[in-house]
Amino acid sequence: MNWLKQLFLRRRLYDDLDKEIALHLEERIEELVASGMSLKEAISAARREFGSVELVKENARETWGWRWLEDLLGDLRFGVRMLRRNPGFAAIVVLTLALGIGANTTIFSVVSAFLLRKPPVRDPDRVMIVSSVDPAKDTYAPDRAPVSPLDYLDWRAQSAAFENMGAANLDDFTISGRGAPQRAAGARVSAEFFRVLGVNPLFGRVILPEENRSGNDRVVVLSEELWKERFGNDRQVLGQSIKINGNRYKIVGIMPSTFQLWDFHAQLWIPLAFSPDDLLPSARSRRFLRVFARLKPGIDERHATAEMQTVAQRIAETHKDTNQGWGASVASLQLYGIADSGAKTATLFLSAAVGFVLLIACTNLASLMLARTSAREREFSVRSTLGAGRFRLVRQLLTECLLLSMAGAGLGILGAFWGVRALRSQFSWNEDALAMGRELSVDSHVLVFTLVVSVCAGIFFGLAPAIQIARREPGGALKEVSRGTTAGRERHRFQRMLVAGQLALSLFLLVGAAIFVDNFLEEIRASAGFNSHNLLTTSVSLRGLEYLQPQRQRQFFEDVLKRLQGLPGVQSAALTTDLPFNFPGSARFTIEGHPVAKPEEQPFSGYFAVSPGYFATTQIPLLRGREFASSDTADAPPVVIVNEEFAKHFLGTEDPLGRHIHLVWHKQDQWSEIVGVVGNVREFLSQPAPRPELFVPYTANPSGFTRLLVRTRTKPESFSDSLRAAVWAVDPDQAVIEMRTMERVIADSATGDDLMADLMSGFALLALVMAGVGLFGLLSYLVGQRKKEMGIRLALGAQPGQVLRLVIRNGMALVGAGVGVGFLASLALPKLVAAAFDGMRFNSAWILISAPVTVILVGVAACYVPAKRATRVDPMVALRYE
Amino acid sequence: MVLIKKPEQRDLFPGALEMMILRTLKRQPLHGYALAQHIKRTSNDLLQIEEGSLYPALQRLLKAELVRAEWGVSSTNRRVRIYELTKGGAKHLQREVSSFERMLEGITRVLAPGGS
Repeated sequence: MNWLKQLFLRRRLYDDLDKEIALHLEERIEELVASGMSLKEAISAARREFGSVELVKENARETWGWRWLEDLLGDLRFGVRMLRRNPGFAAIVVLTLALGIGANTTIFSVVSAFLLRKPPVRDPDRVMIVSSVDPAKDTYAPDRAPVSPLDYLDWRAQSAAFENMGAANLDDFTISGRGAPQRAAGARVSAEFFRVLGVNPLFGRVILPEENRSGNDRVVVLSEELWKERFGNDRQVLGQSIKINGNRYKIVGIMPSTFQLWDFHAQLWIPLAFSPDDLLPSARSRRFLRVFARLKPGIDERHATAEMQTVAQRIAETHKDTNQGWGASVASLQLYGIADSGAKTATLFLSAAVGFVLLIACTNLASLMLARTSAREREFSVRSTLGAGRFRLVRQLLTECLLLSMAGAGLGILGAFWGVRALRSQFSWNEDALAMGRELSVDSHVLVFTLVVSVCAGIFFGLAPAIQIARREPGGALKEVSRGTTAGRERHRFQRMLVAGQLALSLFLLVGAAIFVDNFLEEIRASAGFNSHNLLTTSVSLRGLEYLQPQRQRQFFEDVLKRLQGLPGVQSAALTTDLPFNFPGSARFTIEGHPVAKPEEQPFSGYFAVSPGYFATTQIPLLRGREFASSDTADAPPVVIVNEEFAKHFLGTEDPLGRHIHLVWHKQDQWSEIVGVVGNVREFLSQPAPRPELFVPYTANPSGFTRLLVRTRTKPESFSDSLRAAVWAVDPDQAVIEMRTMERVIADSATGDDLMADLMSGFALLALVMAGVGLFGLLSYLVGQRKKEMGIRLALGAQPGQVLRLVIRNGMALVGAGVGVGFLASLALPKLVAAAFDGMRFNSAWILISAPVTVILVGVAACYVPAKRATRVDPMVALRYE
Repeated sequence: MVLIKKPEQRDLFPGALEMMILRTLKRQPLHGYALAQHIKRTSNDLLQIEEGSLYPALQRLLKAELVRAEWGVSSTNRRVRIYELTKGGAKHLQREVSSFERMLEGITRVLAPGGS
């Protein structure tokens, strides 16, 4: 690379040339002097003969073709010097850009990860999830209900739109045998499951069709993670066995860690084998399968939906008892997890918020650049009068803009990486969130887009005024500036509008964010109905054949409770089948004296089996009657406790105590007596109204899966080891999972609401700060422009206070305009938010007062510094300034 | 910038100065000043060359590697930068001269009295 070498040697080349020319002149002068000329004459003669030394040098240098580069370097040097002379301006521009780019990239990376994510399967667009459609519209996601085995088999046989159809039954499993017992999410799947998804194992094989039969189904495919965790990368694992729920399963394959589906997380897959019971006609009402299907080529989702609806309708007609009204729906795997979920709306809102922030950042850039360029109008006029070309001036400014943009962009990119890393750890409310958090990375498309937008904005707003100046008569600006003492109000109208607009936008954002935060706090604050402090919970799911007997289950937990109650630091301990804030189950029943004609007309309510001492431990108030006692066993007359809402809803004004209800699974004539009424407890955040609940004694209704609740005397977190030890002291083979404080349970049930509230308020703050910076920048500039005027005022005897008020009044006019517009726009927000989010309410009018006040305060702060500076103008310096 | 002495005469064609430099250097390596004086002298001052214009031309030749330059000491014992023809420069000169001669011949024929 010859030119490259020359480039680096160019300083030497230039030096040689300069020396050479000097020597040339010297030699000529000597010769002329030798021929009798005086030195003075000789010098001028030599010069004349030689021509313009500078021009020759410039022409000679140009030969090397580096002129553009040298100009650029010159521009850069000059730009850096200009920026260093005004570090505040540079810092603000760079920070504004960095924040805009960083925040935007971070949020849109999340958005794209969330909304545009492709499931890791072959041709993801062709993979559908076929669900039952529940005619009862009040259940959770009725159009995405699971499928019963017989319905699945009929669908398979009767549909033509799909290449293949497979089923999965998601469940939790206890793994033991090697290492500590552990719980893992997994699935029983049909052999077609992997075929439909088109995924291959890392090594080994997937499940074979003949293994989908009872007796032949003791094989397991492990996830790469589980394999590494328990077998540490050992490839010899195939053929070995592992204990799942107490039974031995032969490991046949390992699925790569890339294969994880949204909403269907699994660490292991075992064959789905239907039992004879599953295939009884009445079993059609037991819906627990998720059905995956791959569309045939040329068939689209709509076509498949139409076909499945016909098939489901036919089944519903032939099996009226179980399928009356039930339909079928088809949704793509990709959209399945996010369709109509609140998270989608939340993401869109966040995008809007962050878009606003970018807009504010850009207007900030615009107003700062405009201010700066007009402040330098005089400089440019001088330069253009001295012969600088228009193009050269514009290029100088362009270089400076690029310099700023690059610095801002660089910082912004760093910010984006940092932001994404910070957010990653926030995705922790469930398995899917965790998986998403793990995969969350800076989206390069988004990054490039944001970079281009903000850098272009910087360049555009930096150049537009420059071009305007360049177009003007060289002398014009020079005259205007030197004549003017007060900068013309007209000339700053655009900048004023920008700043007022920013303030309006930030107020709008602030109100929006406040509504989110307020709703969230409301949720958390609203009385849960029990005392969640110092409450530690964990789940134990008994596995192993011996625990199939209810007595054994009861015995196990009674032993554990006894142990726990004996520990120091434990105030009380209890167990329950379900926790509040954890989507408890429900049960159907009949109320004495209110018979119903059909089973499906039976009322239902939340259902908990709880041990004696549950209400005392949770501190759910017992309003009437009594708590359960250890004597309430299966042999004793059955009793239930109901909550206040239950009594109000089903019994109205009747006295609940002593009334009887019949639970569906009890014998025909076995009626349970209501022996107590307790306070209402919330079952999940944003629950609009309390739900009827009924409690049965655990001692009479044992189950293998329960949650232990311990009220501790000190910090509950520190008690987790003792709790685990107490369980393992009774049986070391049982997995202790989901160890959380009750407060954590509540926070986790917020499924990202808290993150949303945090992010929204973060952006609102960011917007406010940026708007403040914009105002500060504009006022500082205006004060700078009016330095002379301020000087004269002060010299003529104006009090500093008067000058201060003058500047502040100037700024506050902008603040007033911005807040006014922003306030009017914000009035639409409560309705907008309520329409977009279920259960979101506008319940605090204080937001509409406090948000504008906040903006005004920020405005005052932003005005104060430049105003104070104006009062410190030394009249003499100011007058000499021009 | 090569200026022809009489104002009514036109500029030399581009590349003429370079050609003259190369021709001069073919005879012997010279430094800038000597080169300028030599060209002036041999053209009988017919072509007045603004001495300075020599340097951009020399830079062009340096860049094209038709000449090379080295610092040395002149016969008058002063530090000078001596230019020397490279192999490529010699070849280039040959090509240029022959094409120049052909051109000159053509022009001469056209300008010759009695020519049609």
